[in-house]
Amino acid sequence: MSYQAKGLQAWLFQRLTAVFMALYILYFLVVILTTNHMTYQLWVEWFSHPVMNTATGLFFIHLVVHAWVGMRDIVLDYIPNDTLRLTTLACISFFLIISCLGMLRILFSLSLKI
Amino acid sequence: MDKARPKNLDLLSIKFPMAAIMSVGHRAAGILLFLLLPYFLYLLQLSLTNETGFALAKAELQGPWVKLTGLVLIWALAHHFIAGIRYFFLDLDIGIEKHMAQKSAIMVMVSGFLIFVISFLLLL
Repeated sequence: MSYQAKGLQAWLFQRLTAVFMALYILYFLVVILTTNHMTYQLWVEWFSHPVMNTATGLFFIHLVVHAWVGMRDIVLDYIPNDTLRLTTLACISFFLIISCLGMLRILFSLSLKI
Repeated sequence: MDKARPKNLDLLSIKFPMAAIMSVGHRAAGILLFLLLPYFLYLLQLSLTNETGFALAKAELQGPWVKLTGLVLIWALAHHFIAGIRYFFLDLDIGIEKHMAQKSAIMVMVSGFLIFVISFLLLL
């Protein structure tokens, strides 16, 4: 999403991504809390399952969009200085892009395991 | 843009009702979750590498400092989650009246705190 994301668009993105993430987190918590003894085997099998693997990738994309809109809103609200604001926004997007690459690496290494 | 728009940066002169405190909490929790993103990724990566990595990640979660961070994190996620649900209802015009909005803000604060306390007792 561009830095220019319009108000309504950003608002909508924020809510749609929130719904997906809420469902994923609830599912995640239910599995974690109902599994008595989580082993490495179970853990890898769970994350390697095509549905869970895809859902985790999607969760991360939603997370990045959600975090970008949220952090952008905060920065726009509290940093009136143009230079400082742009620098902060650039840092945030850099941070998110690097995180994306990290997540991609994890999911890719998992697909090699199957 | 109108450069002479009014500003009030004297925080002490502004009243902070519960909804405002809850909203600040929502933002602070969001920033916290954002900042800890690399740590989540590190733990996920470590736990999925191999048997040893999984044990290491598990052991790391048992450390006292991680436990403390974990508790703050649990509060952040819980507060962000529940406050988000409140915003959803507000978007649907449910509970938009002043006293209802105040009540739900208190409910969000209390449930976030309760989840924090319960997790603290469970992790102790």
